[in-house]
Amino acid sequence: MSLLKYESTLREPLVDGEKTYHQVTEDICRPVEEKANTGWKIGFTISVALLLFGIYSVYREVTYGIGQWNLNKTIGWGWDITNFVWWVGIGHAGTLISAILLLFRQGWRTGVNRAAEAMTIFAVMCAGQFPIFHMGRVWDAFFVLPYANTRGPLWVNFASPLLWDVFAISTYFTVSLLFWYSGLIPDFATIRDRAKTKARKLWYGVVSFGWTGSTKHWQRHESLSLVLAGLSTPLVLSVHTIVSFDFATSVVPGWHTTIFPPYFVAGAIFSGFAMVQTLMLVTRKVMKLDDYITLGHIEAMNKVIVLTGSIVGIAYLTELFMAWYGGSKFEYDAFYKYRIAGPYGWSYWTMMTCNVISPQLFWSKKLRRNVAFTFIMSIVVNIGMWFERFVIIVTSVYRDYIPSSWSVYYRPTIWEVGFYLGTFGLFFTCYFLFSKFAPVIAIAEIKHVLKTSGESFKEKMDVIEKESVDHFAHEHAHAH
Amino acid sequence: MGQVKKYVVGCFDDEKVLFPAVKKVRAAGYKIQDVYTPMPVHGLDHALGMRETSLHTAGFIYGITGTTTALVCMSWIFTSDWPLNIGGKPHLPLPAFIPITFELTVLFAAVGMVLTFCYLCQLAPFVKKHHFHERATDDLMVMVIECTAKTNEEEVKAMLNSNGAVEVNVQEAPVGWWLGRYDRPSKLFKTREVAY
Amino acid sequence: MIKEQFEITGRYKQWAYALIGVGVLALVLGFVFLNVAGDANSFGVTKYWAVLMHNSIYFLLVAVAAMFFISATTMAMGGWQTSMRRVPEAISGYVYVGGAIALVILLGYVFGSQNTAIYHWKDAEHVAHDKVLTWKKGFLNPTFFSIATILVIGIWMALSYWYRKVSLAEDAGAPGDRSYFWKTIIICAAFIVVYGLTVGSTTPWLWLMSIDAHWFSTMYSWYTFASSWVAGLSLIMLFIVYLKNQGYLEYVNEEHIHDVGKFIFAFSIFWTYLWFSQYMLIWYSNQPEETVYFQPRLHGAYQGIFYLNLIINFVAPILILMKRSSKRNYATVTFMSVVLIFGHWLDFYQMIMPGSLKGDVNDGNSIGLFIFDMGVAAGFIGLIMLIVGNKLTKASLLPKNHPFVKESIVHHT
Repeated sequence: MSLLKYESTLREPLVDGEKTYHQVTEDICRPVEEKANTGWKIGFTISVALLLFGIYSVYREVTYGIGQWNLNKTIGWGWDITNFVWWVGIGHAGTLISAILLLFRQGWRTGVNRAAEAMTIFAVMCAGQFPIFHMGRVWDAFFVLPYANTRGPLWVNFASPLLWDVFAISTYFTVSLLFWYSGLIPDFATIRDRAKTKARKLWYGVVSFGWTGSTKHWQRHESLSLVLAGLSTPLVLSVHTIVSFDFATSVVPGWHTTIFPPYFVAGAIFSGFAMVQTLMLVTRKVMKLDDYITLGHIEAMNKVIVLTGSIVGIAYLTELFMAWYGGSKFEYDAFYKYRIAGPYGWSYWTMMTCNVISPQLFWSKKLRRNVAFTFIMSIVVNIGMWFERFVIIVTSVYRDYIPSSWSVYYRPTIWEVGFYLGTFGLFFTCYFLFSKFAPVIAIAEIKHVLKTSGESFKEKMDVIEKESVDHFAHEHAHAH
Repeated sequence: MGQVKKYVVGCFDDEKVLFPAVKKVRAAGYKIQDVYTPMPVHGLDHALGMRETSLHTAGFIYGITGTTTALVCMSWIFTSDWPLNIGGKPHLPLPAFIPITFELTVLFAAVGMVLTFCYLCQLAPFVKKHHFHERATDDLMVMVIECTAKTNEEEVKAMLNSNGAVEVNVQEAPVGWWLGRYDRPSKLFKTREVAY
Repeated sequence: MIKEQFEITGRYKQWAYALIGVGVLALVLGFVFLNVAGDANSFGVTKYWAVLMHNSIYFLLVAVAAMFFISATTMAMGGWQTSMRRVPEAISGYVYVGGAIALVILLGYVFGSQNTAIYHWKDAEHVAHDKVLTWKKGFLNPTFFSIATILVIGIWMALSYWYRKVSLAEDAGAPGDRSYFWKTIIICAAFIVVYGLTVGSTTPWLWLMSIDAHWFSTMYSWYTFASSWVAGLSLIMLFIVYLKNQGYLEYVNEEHIHDVGKFIFAFSIFWTYLWFSQYMLIWYSNQPEETVYFQPRLHGAYQGIFYLNLIINFVAPILILMKRSSKRNYATVTFMSVVLIFGHWLDFYQMIMPGSLKGDVNDGNSIGLFIFDMGVAAGFIGLIMLIVGNKLTKASLLPKNHPFVKESIVHHT
């Protein structure tokens, strides 16, 4: 153990201001302990209202059947599956931030990982609604579970990508929840131990599982986090991969392409980071956490956005190229007649503009660090990623092999829109509750990096920075 | 609620002070029962002479179990229990089994590890433990030294004080955990005879 | 005394020259026994050219992957690899010679050889009768091929040169001067973009996928990238271990080895992921124009290599490198690196050979010549040893003015 706390002064501090361990606790626990402010109340009310509208829309669909969604040909599922894939995609950033960035030792993840993980879980919850209610007879949803039944085929079809989805999404939800919660336990304990009211003592006493902070427990906790991160990393990739399999295993032109798995994953990370940006920019402002979610954090996330946006761009162009290069007439038509042109051409160009072209503006450092611009971009990217799924699903299906499935004037019904709005309600209701009752920033993890990356601590490193390399190495590296 | 023991408790507010203190206390032959910290302190486990956790090995075993479960079940179902022709694929479509196999591997490993973690650390709702200092989850690193019949408390306290502890006291505390609520004070051991 | 200045030992040189000698010998013997002067479309001529292309492209992409390693870690502000930074730098120095060789071979094949078995799109007469190739003529034609190839290799060389220049200038500059670092950021950003547009998309289509000219897969380039990337990481690892054993790289320790090991482990899995995605999707949808690619690879003479590829590049790293202690063990990581460099060489082999030697695929003739393949590969390995060794002597092994060098020294996994 080297007692040296050193980090290059080239790196921006991750925690701004003069902070001590206690100050960190105070800052992050404050929103939990204070009374909810007006902004929170208004937002929460709107979310609940949306949720209620969603519940009513779903009630219509369940009671009267999927005719409420005009489902009489393949394209009818366009809107709902678009929403499903969109939400699942958003649900990728949280685990990416906490898992992959943990493995890659990107220190800046500590400021945003807790909220991003929470967002992941809520987004996956929203995503799950769509296939479940899309089943029509939702009370038979348990049919997807693998158990020996008396319905004919006896078992579910393990070779079907839709069943893979069932396994992937439920595993992803479970593992993300465990990962998130195991990280929350120590922070809940912090709130418990400083609680003044009886109710808070009781509640945080229950949810903190009797955490004491024992060194042995921390050692196991670290090991657990690391292995869960190691497991979650391929898991994140697998989830959107399997979602992409839903399309790519079929022989529908525009869907069957081998690049789909990694390209969907890149797109998911892209949209997920955009959603994290949206939420973080609001959260840091409303909760006054800009010392912890600094411009450096925002810039780092914008870098991820421009990277993944460009990867997605390469994938779009690859697809477009192969549609020509492959020499298959159907594939060619799907792209050149029905995607970039045709009645839905506008959606393709919206997608291209929002996902590939506009993120390139983030090559500029000035724009990466501009809060207002970032906020607008995060919305733009989310719109673009919604259109990506819309383009893939609708443009390939509206000119399906059977002319009876053809449709140019596809649009969702009010109850489908209501359902979608309802998932926003669900998402934000959950997020508002989370931000009120749980620390939105990982307290223990911030404390862990405070002395290397805190602003006031970094100032002391100038002295070390001036030392010669040999002297530095001699003094510190071997002083274990 | 078992045995009650006596401890000397020293609180530190800086890792740089804590590490040398740990070294000295151990060198003097005292048994550090634990150090409670608000965040993971890297290297403290080694300084305390703890062995590495084998939690990840358990995770590996759980994972392998998941892999086997998935492969065996699906193969048995598709080849012997109820073979079906699906899209002209072979009855054992191995590539199509990979996604579910992978998911179950991860699921088993993750759930198994978290449960094992909770079991080993005795973590569950309504579990209550003795907390030596309420700021141990805020900004203090709390070193707890177990007293035996031979221990001279004053000597230990003096030692902690001279090594930079910001707060030193002696506490009697029950070993282990019990079911309870944090909003109610526990009077479980105060009235009882302290047995060493 | 810290050894920061690498000196090539006599033994190292002997080995390099011996391997080059083996390569030259293999080429000469191959030329004679495969009767390369004979009928242009005979098996021998095709094999000869295919072997040359296989090795020159593979080792070039491995060297380019080293440059990608530098760019990716620089862009991600990774500090840990600074103390070993000179190794990937030296490896990317192979881009000049390797690029020139690949350029000569590719253009030599397209313009200098009458053989049309490997790139049958270059045969105008054949293309005229082939509907699919006529359709693709805009992309698959000698003019476009040569312009793109020259451009791609030229840009790689230029960016590697530029990076190296700035990196060395930093050593000579004032300590604490960070302008060099920001300059490398620009070069690396440019390289990442170039890499995405070349290795990440067009180049593998042009050089490799066009061997099976009718076939197509959108995944192909990313798959090729993953393969060369793992091999590149392994090569970096080998040189680090070699230098450590010789007493250099004092500030590189198990922590750094561990991290490179993690990269190798993770990207081996990533490679498998791409392999599986491509294979499974083609297997699942079962369309003849796509499965045609796997037909000769999965059935017939290449079957063994098809499965060996998976065992070497997936099963071996996942089992051997999973444990923390094995990623920190010099012997294990060396063994694994050698295995993986061979494994991905084999992966490239099975990308190139079945498509090139179409008619001779099933008689096992081509596999029987494996010793010839290995001989040529040995020559390339010797060349890499020589060039990288040389590059390593050209500069201090520690970029002592790099702003992250101290982080790298105290790096703790």
